[in-house]
Amino acid sequence: MQITILNGDPNPGENDLARFTSFIPEATGANNEIRYFPLADMQIKHCTGCWTCWWKTPGLCIWKDDADAIFEAVINSDLVVFASPVTAGFTSSLLKRIQDRLIVLIHPYIELVQGECHHRKRYDSYPDFALLLNTTPEEETDAEDIEIITDIYKRLAINFHCKLRHVWITDTQKQKEIPHDISYH
Amino acid sequence: MTLAIINGSPRGQQSNSKILTEHFLTGYRSQNTLRNVEIAYLKGKDQFQESLKVFSQSEQVIIIFPLYTDCMPAMVKEFFEHLPPNTGEKKKDLGFIVQSGFPEAIHSVYVERYLKKFTQRLGYNYLGTVIKGGVEGIQVMPASMTRKLFANFRSMGEYFALNGSFSETIKAKLQGPLRMSKAQQVGFKIAGLTGLPNFYWNNNLKKHGAYQRRNDKPFAAE
Repeated sequence: MQITILNGDPNPGENDLARFTSFIPEATGANNEIRYFPLADMQIKHCTGCWTCWWKTPGLCIWKDDADAIFEAVINSDLVVFASPVTAGFTSSLLKRIQDRLIVLIHPYIELVQGECHHRKRYDSYPDFALLLNTTPEEETDAEDIEIITDIYKRLAINFHCKLRHVWITDTQKQKEIPHDISYH
Repeated sequence: MTLAIINGSPRGQQSNSKILTEHFLTGYRSQNTLRNVEIAYLKGKDQFQESLKVFSQSEQVIIIFPLYTDCMPAMVKEFFEHLPPNTGEKKKDLGFIVQSGFPEAIHSVYVERYLKKFTQRLGYNYLGTVIKGGVEGIQVMPASMTRKLFANFRSMGEYFALNGSFSETIKAKLQGPLRMSKAQQVGFKIAGLTGLPNFYWNNNLKKHGAYQRRNDKPFAAE
């Protein structure tokens, strides 16, 4: 299967998040194709809410930057890993920047999903989501923060017609649990 | 007491957040002409720094933003990452207005929970979060469709000028029910057959000559 890792660490280097993300390819086996995106090294502009991707060039963003490669990888993956340190109680703004741009992959039309308004699919199928969080950068981060983040990504998954399958915390999780989880995906 | 309203919309001066803010301010100024209200925008390089300055100098701050992928836009999160924790003896008041295109409140209550926790994390006094859905398209709606919305924002501004906080009654009116009722869901499905719920999108797709390409899948694997 194809796995896309979006690493939203603004200070990538020798840390838990880097260790875990680098572990995924070697641990999940040769059958998996891994697409790894270190967002700190990429040009990703903010979504400006211009709706070009919804009503001028359907499915294509107005910005021509490094995001196109991510869109292509994400929509053709089975699993997308949102990897980030927890700062100010949420995933990084660096990760949120590409996340906001992902609306290019869904359709403007609204339909009822579980009795709620949500956007229709643009593509036939969508990848599932996983969260990989490093909670060590700020000592204020607590269990409720993780709960809040998890709930918001579950909501995001509804809009992306998929499920949030895994939440991994780098400082409490054993690396070997990740390939185990993925193999049961 | 100084009040600041920080606009976190990536659309900046063209935002629906700005329109709602203006109606809030009309109400506010009708009750309080003495107090200056600082307005700042996150969009733009210098504006971001200016917003940080305005935040630190104000005793009350309202941050207004559109819901982006079920949460605050990336630039609002970036702003949050730069906000200093409370150090003064008197706690700053921090309130939020979250607006979105979705009609129901359910989409915004998750970020509301985050905003409350975030305010506590910094040690500020949480004024609450005003949630308003169905906002996308207000710039092209006929006046009859936005009259009530704008009147409610003016009333909220009046209340805020007099009390220094959000009115729970007006907040509830703006927020509306969490989900559509069963009857509304049936109504929505019937309206869906006529294409009415997507009229706004179709209209704009046609205006830009993109209607035939509306279902394009440019990133699908061959």
